[in-house]
Order: sequence, then structure tokens, then C-alpha cells
Amino acid sequence: MTHAPSMRRAASSAAVCGLALAATVAVWWLGSTRLALNAGADASGHAASALQAAWLVRGSALALLAVRAGALRGWRHGAGESLALAAAWWPVAVLAWAASTLPWTQLALAEGLLLAAGVALPALGQRLGAALRQPDVADALSVLLGAAFAAALWSAPGRWVWGG
Amino acid sequence: MTRRRAAAFLTLLGLALCGAAQAATPLLELSASAAWKGWSRPGRATEVDIRIGADAAGQATLDLTASRLSARAELDLQPGRGQRLQMLVGAAEQVAVVATPAGGAAQRFQVDIARSESPILGVALAAGGAARLDGFHSIELAADDLPRNAAAYASIDALIVDAPTLDALDARQRDALLARAAACDRIVVLNLERARRPPDAATGCAGGALASAASLPEALERLQASLATGLPRPMAFAGIGELAPPDAGVWQTVAVALGLYFALTASMLIFGARLPLLLALPALCAAAVLPLLHALTPPSQLVVWSEGASGAPLARYQAWQRFAGVRRERLRAPLPPQLAAGAQPCDARQALHFDIDARGGRPAAVAFDTRLFGRTPLCYAGTFPMARALAVDDGGADSRQLRNTGAAAWPGGTLLAGGQAYALPPLEPGARIAVATGTGRAPDGAVQRIASIRTQAQGAPAGALWPLDLGGVAGLPRDARGWLLVTVARR
Repeated sequence: MTHAPSMRRAASSAAVCGLALAATVAVWWLGSTRLALNAGADASGHAASALQAAWLVRGSALALLAVRAGALRGWRHGAGESLALAAAWWPVAVLAWAASTLPWTQLALAEGLLLAAGVALPALGQRLGAALRQPDVADALSVLLGAAFAAALWSAPGRWVWGG
Repeated sequence: MTRRRAAAFLTLLGLALCGAAQAATPLLELSASAAWKGWSRPGRATEVDIRIGADAAGQATLDLTASRLSARAELDLQPGRGQRLQMLVGAAEQVAVVATPAGGAAQRFQVDIARSESPILGVALAAGGAARLDGFHSIELAADDLPRNAAAYASIDALIVDAPTLDALDARQRDALLARAAACDRIVVLNLERARRPPDAATGCAGGALASAASLPEALERLQASLATGLPRPMAFAGIGELAPPDAGVWQTVAVALGLYFALTASMLIFGARLPLLLALPALCAAAVLPLLHALTPPSQLVVWSEGASGAPLARYQAWQRFAGVRRERLRAPLPPQLAAGAQPCDARQALHFDIDARGGRPAAVAFDTRLFGRTPLCYAGTFPMARALAVDDGGADSRQLRNTGAAAWPGGTLLAGGQAYALPPLEPGARIAVATGTGRAPDGAVQRIASIRTQAQGAPAGALWPLDLGGVAGLPRDARGWLLVTVARR
């Protein structure tokens, strides 16, 4: 119970991080869309790029955060932080999908994978923390593991999800 | 026993109904051909003439597919009364026509369109006979090979038609031909004076007489001579689209909605909201996005640009309509009935579907896939009657004398001369006014600039520009605007 305020701070920090990412990509998307509309060009490609970029950036941030949060604060708090990070993008995602030519199943698959990772990675971190029993080592190792997941995301899985 | 009787009755009833359905299915006779004997040019519009008959009354559906363009018409067939439909299509290699009677098997017909890289000379002589013009691909035509849609004349580059063929044209073919002659297409009529129904004197290029020749060599000579001078070409559709003001209403709505969402989430974070609320807010906002998009009305813009020569009975118009998308959907938009006959894709790559009104023989609605920020343009081309005539006399170095030589008064507009724009006041028929050359100013805005450039490009010393009164055109979007440019010859 004594850790409750710090837990809430961690969840808020994750939500702030997710909101900042969502706002950044949304500003880029709306700006490039406006430029395309003024030039009489098709804006659907920008929407698809925004969806892909937001998914990759959130996925990387989630990989870095979720394993460590699970190792240090347990699975439940880690999953909450991960969801707070991922959820801020949802309203923009629906708008960007409406402006793109991507099928809705692709967006649902991508978001579903992100949510699944947001639940599974903290569980992995918790098991790692329990196995090592040394918080400093668990912290360092969870960061390394998260970085490895993030790097993997930028290669094969990202291409598979978005058909690249 | 009662059950058996009931079963037998139902069986007999079923058989009778099956028989009735079989008897009601009409046997269709379907044929189709392309205008200009199936010849066209790459990227140009042409016309497919579809003939369909049936041996029994019934309903049928007619589908046409030409590359990315498709059309559908619901037909009410009567025995012995064949129907004809002429549809404007892009010059695809093949046009597939499928007729499906209600409850019957579909019949297919394929029309091949040959696309010539060389310019096409059409020769429509009742007695037959060919003609050759250097560099042109010559095709011999019968009266029925000429299209009913004026826009289908884009497929050819020059036409020689004799008086008997002119007489053999039906009303729609004749209207289309005269509209194109008025629009300065290269059309020469052989022995026009022998026609039983000669056209009005002022139906040729720029309100002049329709070009006539006494013999085939003379007709060829006239066409050859006309090649040396550039003819006024219609304005490009893309250029007309640029006259429409940018419409950022949907973009602004989305930007404001996202701004509100980010502000709300940020304030919740500042006030220390708990995790369930931080998850519920984006989920609720995401769920609210779709109703928000459905609440938006897809805006549409229409721009009409028309041109004619002073005194000419017809003005040529081109219109450009933009449908803005607000959500992922298949949008079906009704077409303005007075413009619908000339509706066509602005770009051959566009996937459009037209619903054809079989009675009127013209598109009634267009359907296409759209999305948020999607913009689908649709183009129209045609002619309308015009009664504007004016003369500009040099009144010395300081002024120009302007005279309304027509039978109708005109409203206020803009006079364009020598690269300058002058205010043009309303003028009654026969009235004249002096316009001081010192009152000229540089053309203001895209419309005046384009009008000034086109006036000079057509070799006219002056042009008069008026806003087009679109009040009489039904079914136009709220944001519709148009202009009429009348070029003037110096007197």
C-alpha cells in the first residue's frame, strides 16, 4: 500500500508518454494531410503511414517499458502502464483508418497484438524478477530484453503486420 | 386422405408457379457497337450504343463495364419494342455489356475498341468513298456510326459529312454534331446547300457558318488549311478544378475534435485521474469518432466554366464537381439532371459506377468508394443556348466603345482587353457605353486571370466575363459557381 502513489505516478507517466506520442503523430498526419489536400493529392497514404508509424513507436516504447515494469512492480501494474501507453492513440487510430485504404481487420490485428504484448511482456518481466531476486540485475536485464524486443519489432513482425 | 390431397395440391401449385416463372422470363436479343466504327484515341471518350429487345414483357438489368467505369440500367422490356441506350465511356480496349432478365440467364456482348495513335479522320458519305489526309487515319462511316453524345466527338480529330448523311442523322446525332461544330471541331459538310434540313446560319465555329465544301478535294483542302491554325481548345478539367476554393471544413472539424480529445486527456492527467479512467477515456472517444463522422454531411463543390463567341447561339461548358468524403463508405450521389448527359470521369483511372435512367437514357446517379479526406472529382461537358452579343469599337486612345448588339440585356460583369480588366456595367439591347482605358486594372483573382489568358489565346481582342446564373439548373450543390466568357471581335 505504501507504493500506491508511485504506482499511480508510473501509470500517469506511461499515459503522458502515450499521449505525447499520439499527439506528435497526429500533428504530423494532419499537417501532411492538409498539404496533400491543398496540392490536390491523395491523402490516404499519409493516414496509412501514420498508423504504421504510431504502431511501431508505441510497440517499441511498450517493449522497453512493459518488461521492466513487470520485473519491478509486478504483472498487474506493468499491464496497466502498458495499456495506458497504448490506449491514448485509439481515437486518432480510428480517424486515420477512416482516412486510409487499409482494411479494418489489419488495424484490429495490429492493436490486438499490441494489447497482447502489453499483457504478456509484464508477465515475462515478473517471472524474470522472481527468478533473479536481485532488483538491480532484474532491472538491467529487463531493459536489455525490452530493447531486443523493440529491435525485433522494427524488422520482421512490423513488416508482417502492415504488409510491408 | 386430407393430408395427401393437400400435398398434391401444393405440388401442383408449385409446378404451376415454376411454369409461370419460366414463361415470364423473356428471351433477350442483345447487341452493342461503339461509335466511329469502334475507333477511338487513347484516353479519349467514346460512345457505346446498346440495343436490347425481348420476346416477352419483363424486367432486365443491363450492366456495362469499361475498364474502371461501370454502369447499370434497370430496363422495362416490352415485346416488339426494342430499347437503345447510348453510354459515354472512356476508350477502354474492351467494353463488356451484360443483360440479365429477372429470373433468367445473363447474356453477354463484348465491344472491342481500336485505339489509333494517329489522328482520326471520319468520312461519312452516303454514297460511300474514302478520303485521305496526310498523317490521319481515315475511317469510312455510315450515319448510324455517328454518336449521340457530343463528348464522344473527342474520339476523332476531323470529320467530313455530306448533306444526305446529315439528313439521315436523328435529332440527338444532329444536335451532337452541331454542338461540336459550334465548339470549333474540324467538321466540314459536303454540299451543305443540298441538305433538306440545313442548320441555322450561326451554328459553325465561333458563331460563323458551318464549314461547307462543294467537293471532297475542297473539303480535304479546307481541313488541311485548318491544321495550320490552332483551334480554341476547351479548358482542361484540372484547370477548372483549380477555380474551386479549397474546402478545409472537414479537416478543421477533425483537427478540432482531436484537439479537444488531447486537451481533455491532458487535463485528466494533470488532475491525477486513476488508471481505469485513463483507459476508458480514449476507448470512449474512439467509439465516438464513428458517430461523429456519420454526423458530418459530405460537402460537394461544383464549378462551371463556359465560353462562347459573341453572337453564337451556343456556349460550350465544362463543369467540375468534387465530392468530399467524410468516412469509409460507398457514396451514391444524384447528378444534376441538366448536366448528367455529359457526366464523365475526370481521370480514366477513377473507379466510378453510374446508375442509368433507362427512360431518359442518361446517368441519374454516380457511386464510388470514398473515405475521410477523400476527394472524388466528376466532370461534365456540353453546350447550352446563349444570347450574348457585343461589339467593341476603338474609340480613340482614351476609350473603347462597347455596344450590346444582341437582343437581350446583360448584367454587370468584367471586360477583358489588352491584358487589363474593366468593370462592365449592365447594358440594354442596342445601348452603348464608353469604357475609359485608364480605368483598367490587372486581372484580379484566378477567374479573371484565366479569362484574360484564354481571350488572348483565342486571338480575340476582348472578352466579356459574367458570373453564370445557375438558378435554373436543378440539383446543384449549395457551393456551385460558374462563369461565362464571351469573346469579342474588334469592329
